[in-house]
Amino acid sequence: MKKIFNSIIVAMTLAALLLAACGSASQSSDSTLSVLASTTFLADIAQHVAGDRLNVDSLLPVDADPHAYQTTPADVVKISKSTVLILNGIEYEHFIEPLLENADGERLVITATARLEPHQMEEHAGETESDDEHEHEAGDPHMWLDPNLVVTYVENIRDGLIQADPEGAEIYKANADTYIAQLMGLDAWIKEQVETIPVERRLLVTNHESMGYFAERYGFTIVDTILPSFSSDASASAQEIAEVIEAIRSSGAPAIFLSDVENNALANQIAEETGVQVVTSLRLESLTDGAPAATYIEMMKYNVSELVKALQ
Amino acid sequence: MTTFIDWLAAPLSYEFMQRGMIAAVLVGIVCAVIGSYVVLRGMAFFGDALAHTILPGIALGYLVSGGARDTLFWWALGTAVIAALGIGLISKNSEIKEDTSIGIVFAGMFALGVALISTVRSYAVDLSHFLFGDVLSVSTQSLWLILIFGGIVLLIVFAFYKEFMTLSFDPILAATLRLPVGFLNNLLLALIAVTVAVSLQTVGVALMVAMLVTPAATAYLLTHRLSTMMMLAAAFASLAGIIGLYLSFYLSIASGAAIVLTATVFFLLVFVWKKMAGR
Amino acid sequence: MYPHSDHLHDQPVLAVSHLTVRYNGRVALEDVTFHLHEGEQVAIVGPNGAGKSTLIKTIAGVLQPQSGEVNIFGSRPRGHVCIGYIPQRSQVDWNFPVSVADVVMMGRSAKLGPFNWPHRKDWDIVHRALETVELANLSKRQISQLSGGQQQRMFIARALAQEAELMLMDEPLTGLDAPSQEGILNLLERFKKDKVTVMVATHDLDQAASHFDRIMLLNHQIIAFDEPQNVLHTDNLLRAYGGRLKPVDGQNILSTDDCCDEGEHDHIH
Repeated sequence: MKKIFNSIIVAMTLAALLLAACGSASQSSDSTLSVLASTTFLADIAQHVAGDRLNVDSLLPVDADPHAYQTTPADVVKISKSTVLILNGIEYEHFIEPLLENADGERLVITATARLEPHQMEEHAGETESDDEHEHEAGDPHMWLDPNLVVTYVENIRDGLIQADPEGAEIYKANADTYIAQLMGLDAWIKEQVETIPVERRLLVTNHESMGYFAERYGFTIVDTILPSFSSDASASAQEIAEVIEAIRSSGAPAIFLSDVENNALANQIAEETGVQVVTSLRLESLTDGAPAATYIEMMKYNVSELVKALQ
Repeated sequence: MTTFIDWLAAPLSYEFMQRGMIAAVLVGIVCAVIGSYVVLRGMAFFGDALAHTILPGIALGYLVSGGARDTLFWWALGTAVIAALGIGLISKNSEIKEDTSIGIVFAGMFALGVALISTVRSYAVDLSHFLFGDVLSVSTQSLWLILIFGGIVLLIVFAFYKEFMTLSFDPILAATLRLPVGFLNNLLLALIAVTVAVSLQTVGVALMVAMLVTPAATAYLLTHRLSTMMMLAAAFASLAGIIGLYLSFYLSIASGAAIVLTATVFFLLVFVWKKMAGR
Repeated sequence: MYPHSDHLHDQPVLAVSHLTVRYNGRVALEDVTFHLHEGEQVAIVGPNGAGKSTLIKTIAGVLQPQSGEVNIFGSRPRGHVCIGYIPQRSQVDWNFPVSVADVVMMGRSAKLGPFNWPHRKDWDIVHRALETVELANLSKRQISQLSGGQQQRMFIARALAQEAELMLMDEPLTGLDAPSQEGILNLLERFKKDKVTVMVATHDLDQAASHFDRIMLLNHQIIAFDEPQNVLHTDNLLRAYGGRLKPVDGQNILSTDDCCDEGEHDHIH
C-alpha cells in the first residue's frame, strides 16, 4: 500500500519538478542561507543555535506524525529552495529519499544524530516473532527525548552551520553553549520530577517504541508497546494486543501513554480490558502551536509533567 | 486434548477478542441474509459500488470529529442510505447503461474520499482501517450499534419476507398484486446501505462485497429454498468470522482478510464438491 | 393495506376504450376498444411485435396508457388485485430458490399484507389450486425441475390461489408439446364453469379457433374481434399478418417462422 502511494507521489513530484525548474531558472543566486529542518522540534533546537543570524523552517507542520507522513509535491519545492537541510537521521525521515532525489540544487545535509549509537530492536519478554513491521532497521531514532543526547544534536548542528556559514562561527558557538546549559538545566529538572514518582510506578506502556532513550536515562521500565515497532505506521495483530494486556496485568503499569497524533482505538480497547488510564496528550514527535509545547524544552517539560501526573 | 481446548480458549480470554468475534458473527449473519437478495437479484456490483461510495462520508466524519471511531458509524450510515437511493435513482433515469453510471459514481466518490482523508498528513494507517476493517478495535458501544441496527435489518426482512421474495422473483406479479413496488425496492436499497454501514468496521470497504456475496453464493449452491439459503449463508458467514479471527490471532494476519479468505474457501469447497458429485 | 376496488357486476368484466400505449418509444397499441363479458374466453392473435404482451400488461395495470381507459368491473386496474397474470416462461428465473408451493403462495401476498405469514386457510387454498392443475404431488419441487407444461400449470395455480377473476396469459402454449397444450386447454374449459374470464395471447390460430369463444386479431390496432368463423377470413389475415401470407397450390399458407423457435407454420383453409 505504502509503495503504491509513494510511487504515485513520485510521479506527481516529477510533474512538480518541471514547475520548480521553470521557477528556479528565474531566481538570482541568493547569498543568505535557507535552512530547513525536517520536524518542528528539530527546527526549534536548530533555531536556538542559529540565533538571530539565520531563520530555520520546518518541513513538517505542527501535528504531523513523521512516522506516517505522506509527502506532497509542495515538499519537493521546499527542499529545492533550501541550502541547509537538518535531519534527525536513523531513518526517521523515511520519506526523504525521493524528495532529495527530485529536488533541484545543492545543499548541506546535517544529520543531528551523527556520532550517536542508536538502540537496535530487541525482543521484549514474551513477544512473538514479530513480522515485518521493522521500518527502522537502522534502530530507534527517538534520541531527542533524552536531553543529554540532544547536546550532541546541538554540537552537530553547530558544526554544520559553521561549515555552511563560516563567518558566523563565533555566534553559533556562543549560542550552542548557552543552549547546552539550558539542556543541562532541563535534565536536572526532569530528574527531580521523576523522584516524585514511586519507584514501582515508573512503568511505561506506549503506542510504539518511542521512549527507549528517555526510559534508559531516567530509570523507567518500558513494560510493552502496542505496536512492536519504532514507527507508528504499523498495525498490531491480535496476539500482540493480547501480550500487551498480559504485560500490563503482570507489571501493574498504571497507564498507557500516547502521543497526540496517534490513533487511540487500540489503546482504548486495552484500557477497557485492563482498567488502566489512557493518556493521549504527550507531544513526542511534534511541537504545538503556542502553549503547552511551543519549544523543545517546553515540550519535554510538558511531557514529563503529564507522566508525573499519571504515575504519581 | 487439554492443549487443543487451551488453544481454542486462549483468544477468548480477552474481551477485545470476544467483542471482535461477536461483531464478526453478527455482521456475518446480517450480510448473509441481505446478501441472499444481492446474489439473487444480481446486485453484487451495486453492493461493491455502495461500499466504495460511502468513503467520502466517512472521510468527512473523520476530518470533522478528529478520527473518533464511534461517530463514524453515523456518518457511514447517513452516507450509505443517501448513496444507495442516489445510485438507485441514477440507474433508473439515465440513458447510460446501468453498470456504467454506477461505475462512474462509485469511482468518483471513492477518489473524493481518499482525497479528503489524505489532507490529514498521517492518514495511511486510518485509511487502511477503513479499507480493510479493524475488527480488533470494536468497542462495546460499537457492538451495541451493530446489534441494534443489524437487528432492525433482520426484523424488516422478516416482516416483508414474502413481499421481497415475490418482488425478486416476479416483479410483474408484484405489480399486478399492487404491492408497493417502488417503496419495496427503495427499502431493499436502504437495507443494503444499513448493512454496509454496520459491517464497515469489521470487514472494511474493499472487502465488503465478499461478505455480501460469498456466503450467500455458497448457500445458493446447496439448497432450493430461499429461507434455507439465508440460514445456510448465515451459518457460513458466522463460521468464517470465527475461524477468520482465530487465524488472525494465531497467524498475525489482517482480520478482515482472514474472514473473507475463509468464506471463499468454503465456497470453493462446496463448488468443487458439487462438481465432483455430479449434481 | 393493499387496495381492492369494488366489483360492479352490471359492468363488463373488462372494458377497454380508445387505448393508446407507447412502449420503447414506439406506438404499441393504437385506439383499441373492446369489451369482455364475465366467463368469456378469448384469444389474442397477431404477429410478433403486434402489441399482444403490451395489451396484456396494460390491462394488468403494469403499463400506463398514453390515452384511453381500461376499466375492470367498472374501475381502473390499479384498484384490483383480482387480475391473474401468467408470464411468458422465457422471462422467468427458473433457478430462483423457490418451490412450486412457494410460487403458488406468492399469489396470496396481496391478501396477506406485510408482517403476516400464511395461515392454514391460505395453505388450503394453495393446495386446492395445485390439485386443480394436477400438480399436488410436485408441490415441494424446485421450479426448474418442472417440465414446460407443468410450469405453465403452476402459474395458473398461482392465479387460482390469488382468486383471480380475470386471467391474462401471455403465450402459455408456446413451446409445449401437443399433450401439454391439450392439458392447459382442458383446464381452461373447467374455468368456464367458475365464470373466470380468460384472455390468452397465442400464435396458434387453429387452437384459437377451436377452443375460444372469440378471437381478437391484433396488429397495433384491432383488425377484428368476433367469433372464430367470422374472424378468420383471408382479408382479415392479410391485414394482420401482412406479407407473410403466400398463395401455394390455390391455398394460402401463412408462414410465421420468425415467431416461434420451432418454425411453426399455420395453415389456412
